Amino acid sequence: MSGNAIAEREVALVDLVDRLLGGGVVIAGEITLAVADVDLVHVSLRALVSSVATAQRQGVLPADGGDGP
Amino acid sequence: MKDKVLAGPLDGDLDPFARPSRGHSNALSRRIDADPESVEQGLAQLVLTIVELLRQLMERQALRRIDGGGLTEEQIERLGTTFMELDRRMEELREHFGLEAEDLNLDLGPLGRLL
Amino acid sequence: MIELLAITDDTAPAEPPLRVVRAGGLGVVVAPASEDEVDADALWRREALLERLMEQRALLPVRFGTLVADDAAAAEAVAGRSEALADALRRVRGAVELSVRAVAPGQPDEGSPGEHLQARAAHERTAAALHERLAAAAREHARHDGRELLRAAYLVDRSEVDRFVSLVRDLQAEYGELSILCTGPWPPYSFAEPEGA
Repeated sequence: MSGNAIAEREVALVDLVDRLLGGGVVIAGEITLAVADVDLVHVSLRALVSSVATAQRQGVLPADGGDGP
Repeated sequence: MKDKVLAGPLDGDLDPFARPSRGHSNALSRRIDADPESVEQGLAQLVLTIVELLRQLMERQALRRIDGGGLTEEQIERLGTTFMELDRRMEELREHFGLEAEDLNLDLGPLGRLL
Repeated sequence: MIELLAITDDTAPAEPPLRVVRAGGLGVVVAPASEDEVDADALWRREALLERLMEQRALLPVRFGTLVADDAAAAEAVAGRSEALADALRRVRGAVELSVRAVAPGQPDEGSPGEHLQARAAHERTAAALHERLAAAAREHARHDGRELLRAAYLVDRSEVDRFVSLVRDLQAEYGELSILCTGPWPPYSFAEPEGA
């Protein structure tokens, strides 16, 4: 595919990063990675559920019956 | 390095594909701080993600109903307006917490991306 | 620390800086954890290593940034999953991953909310039609949700890649209002998780 080589590199990078971060074999359920001072955080489903309950208690999310869509 | 683009649009405009589909720029640079403001933001992020998930599920269901037929024009209009309102409300909430749409796409490790 | 790059069932040594740690019947491809900044060049270099390796053996890429302490930890990481991973390797052997994204032109602001919703429904039908044609030319497929009309990965026999790309070009000609992009070949990132996450 001829054309703008820079643009092609850019869109290919999007597809690559998509795969690197969203695909591949996942080795552990909860990993916090420090790669050159940058934190990548994976949240387990357990943490998500308990955080929702906490958010309800703290009023960040309306409790059941609150105003919603 | 090998060329990765095998086929592209006839006009050669790759712009629509140049931005990440998901918030990867965020994923690569996101930090978790301990300060209270970002803890609240983190919670809002989790919560709004669930709301966004529900919104998408409902929208998908609506599209299926439309395809299946059996909805009147009026009902379709009402559905359309409802989703418009939902979108608007979600945007307001996101703005309130300083979140981008991509911030709501949490990575659940082996479960993949949430959205 | 070492970085886990891929799982393979060919335990023959690899070119430095890669090493293959044996774990049951499988091999875990590892490299020293990099101190370098994570930028585009670093990602492409890492990718080039994997792709060169893939020319010689079937492999399942590991998610980016997976670091463990040492070889023992690397072997431990795949313990208990050997059978599922071996199955996944069999499924991808001899094939590569191709990515397809399709976008529709932006929707004009006029039109009632109901019309917008109906337009979206029409887009969904188009996406499903595209995906069906592409999936028929592939061994396996994985469609992802996203802002695009279609975002999907296809596991294609190496010998079928040219035919697949031709199909993409045909579809682009047929659906002139869409923009369709196909990239690859990639290692089977989207088909690596045995349970199909």
